[in-house]
Amino acid sequence: MAEASTARDVNAPGYTIRFALVVCLICAAVVATAAVLLEPRQAANARLYMEKNVLIAAGLAEPGDDLSIADVDALFNRYVEARLVDLETGELVPENAVDARAFDQRAARSDPESSRPAPANKAGIHRLPERAVVYFIRRDEAVDELVLAVEGLGMWGTMYGFVSLDPDANTVRGLTYYEHRETPGLGAEVASPVWQRVWQGRKIYDDQWRARITVIKGIAGSPEDDPLHVDGLSGATVTSNAVTNLMQFWLGPHGYGPFLDRFRNGEADT
Amino acid sequence: MEHFINLLIRAVFLENLALAYFLGMCSYLACSKKMETAIGLGLAVVFVQTLTVPLNNILMRGLLDEGALSWLGPTFAEIDLRFLSFILFIAVIAAAVQIVEMAIDRFLPALYTSLGVFLPLIAVNCVILGGSLFMQERDYTLPESIVFGFGSGFGFAIAIVALAAIREKLSYSNVPEGLKGLGITFIVVGLMSMAFMVFSGIQL
Amino acid sequence: MSTVIGSGRPARFTFGPNERATLTDPLIANNPITVQMLGVCSALAITTRVDNAVVMSVGVILVAMIASLAVSLIRERIPTAIRIIVQLAIIASLVTVFDQVLEATFYEISLELSVFVGLIITNCMVLGRAEGYAMRHPPFPAVLDALGNALGYALILIVVAATRELLGVGKLLGFQVLPLTRDGGWYEPNGLMVLPPSALFVIGLLIWAMRTWWPSLVEKD
Repeated sequence: MAEASTARDVNAPGYTIRFALVVCLICAAVVATAAVLLEPRQAANARLYMEKNVLIAAGLAEPGDDLSIADVDALFNRYVEARLVDLETGELVPENAVDARAFDQRAARSDPESSRPAPANKAGIHRLPERAVVYFIRRDEAVDELVLAVEGLGMWGTMYGFVSLDPDANTVRGLTYYEHRETPGLGAEVASPVWQRVWQGRKIYDDQWRARITVIKGIAGSPEDDPLHVDGLSGATVTSNAVTNLMQFWLGPHGYGPFLDRFRNGEADT
Repeated sequence: MEHFINLLIRAVFLENLALAYFLGMCSYLACSKKMETAIGLGLAVVFVQTLTVPLNNILMRGLLDEGALSWLGPTFAEIDLRFLSFILFIAVIAAAVQIVEMAIDRFLPALYTSLGVFLPLIAVNCVILGGSLFMQERDYTLPESIVFGFGSGFGFAIAIVALAAIREKLSYSNVPEGLKGLGITFIVVGLMSMAFMVFSGIQL
Repeated sequence: MSTVIGSGRPARFTFGPNERATLTDPLIANNPITVQMLGVCSALAITTRVDNAVVMSVGVILVAMIASLAVSLIRERIPTAIRIIVQLAIIASLVTVFDQVLEATFYEISLELSVFVGLIITNCMVLGRAEGYAMRHPPFPAVLDALGNALGYALILIVVAATRELLGVGKLLGFQVLPLTRDGGWYEPNGLMVLPPSALFVIGLLIWAMRTWWPSLVEKD
């Protein structure tokens, strides 16, 4: 009997609505508390992860190094200067105008106010940010490395990476892909340090300064004999082609090209 | 236009939610013993997926994204509610399934009798939630999410109908005792999934 | 119905043979993945590496236990009409919190698991135990049941992941176990094992092995 009466109460419409409201409030409170409390750590993690990869591309850290936020900050303060580039003109944004380290290029690319539709390209890029980030690495006084952010559509999703160039703005020093969704074991080798090492010493541009670096099928020659080609990822033609397309796009006239021209001519106000 | 056809082909074949991402496997395996049930579930998934992915897209852009609440006043412009997306998506899905069920019952009784049992099941089918989560992760626009919703639902339908056809034939074959039923089904799905990987080189 | 509730009540926090059965049955005899066919999706998608499988298992164990506890505590107050959505709301909140914690602690793993953490919400195993068991049992057995099922799930996940990581790249938890021919060893990695379909083959063969070992599991047609 007792059970029957509770069953009736429990199914009364007013009670149902009150119950639903209480459950919603409790769930919302739990979730919101967790989100608010953990947000700073998540943001710090995301930035740490990205900056760690800048350091890896620049050769200032090894993949697998366990760097804390303090370590990354120390290395950044010592060697790295983050700046923003106006992609269209190739001019550097004045240093005091923005905090380049806090710049969120992905947010800038999605926001219609700070981006524009990309010209037709094979790299699967729909929108281009007005400004993009560049990291100057100085071991002594002069800039001895440039790290640029690249992205493009791979086989399963967007691949994000950094490429590091010598001061001639042509020779590759290092490369990382820190976020991608490529097939494990095949395309996912883009993130492998072994493959990334074969990029060292390759040239981006031919003698007419056109971005020509290409990931080929099979094995490329040595960087001296065959500077414009890179070993393909075996079994991952789509990913290999995607890397070619995105590198040629970002280092070409619609990407960092204008800035790199200025830099090479000594016109960039570093 | 080309972009949308490309997206549709990708969603149906290359990124088939059942055979490339293995979503909705529980109902995929459980409801593929007979052709009829497979077609019923497939249709229900296409229907609900085409409805909920764009709906979640609208809500995501209108309520959750950073700056989405700026119409409430400048103080709300900074709010980023994306951490609520799981809850919002599943609530939308559960509600949509409920409404669709009632609507079909009222206006299309014939369809209701054929889909009937499967509609409530769909609320907890990971294909549906997965579709919305992929939509969010890949940041699709509204038209893109309509195409993706339909394509991914259709891909699931194709996959489950194909599996049902194979399993109906399989009942005539001589399968080792311990492998009968679930075991051989897993292996068949594995082979189908490998076959679908052939599509992965296609780019339009 | 009332006898089920009654039988559980007197021995609320004791751990007798009944409780042990609740906990251990789902490990093999009634395993959620290989026997009940619940929660299969994530078992397939994230088992290329053992560390991913472990993180996923921890998530499912925690979410399943807390969800079953919460549902069981309020089971007599939940209106029948909104039963499922209340359970989903509880599970979705727990999963969101787990996702947030993961992002704040193991950021790189959270990138790798991406949407699959969110899909714990629709892991039919979690909802299945909440709806099928916790709704009708007091909190202590409900938690045990959730723990048992989640452990059964974790067991399969880790076995499959270990097989795939070992045969696919010769590693376990990231440590090289089998020396690869590429690095001068003897093991030529099996590329199939890192591809998604291999999870299906491994589980299919696992089911075969389990049914040969315990013939009682064979399906009666």
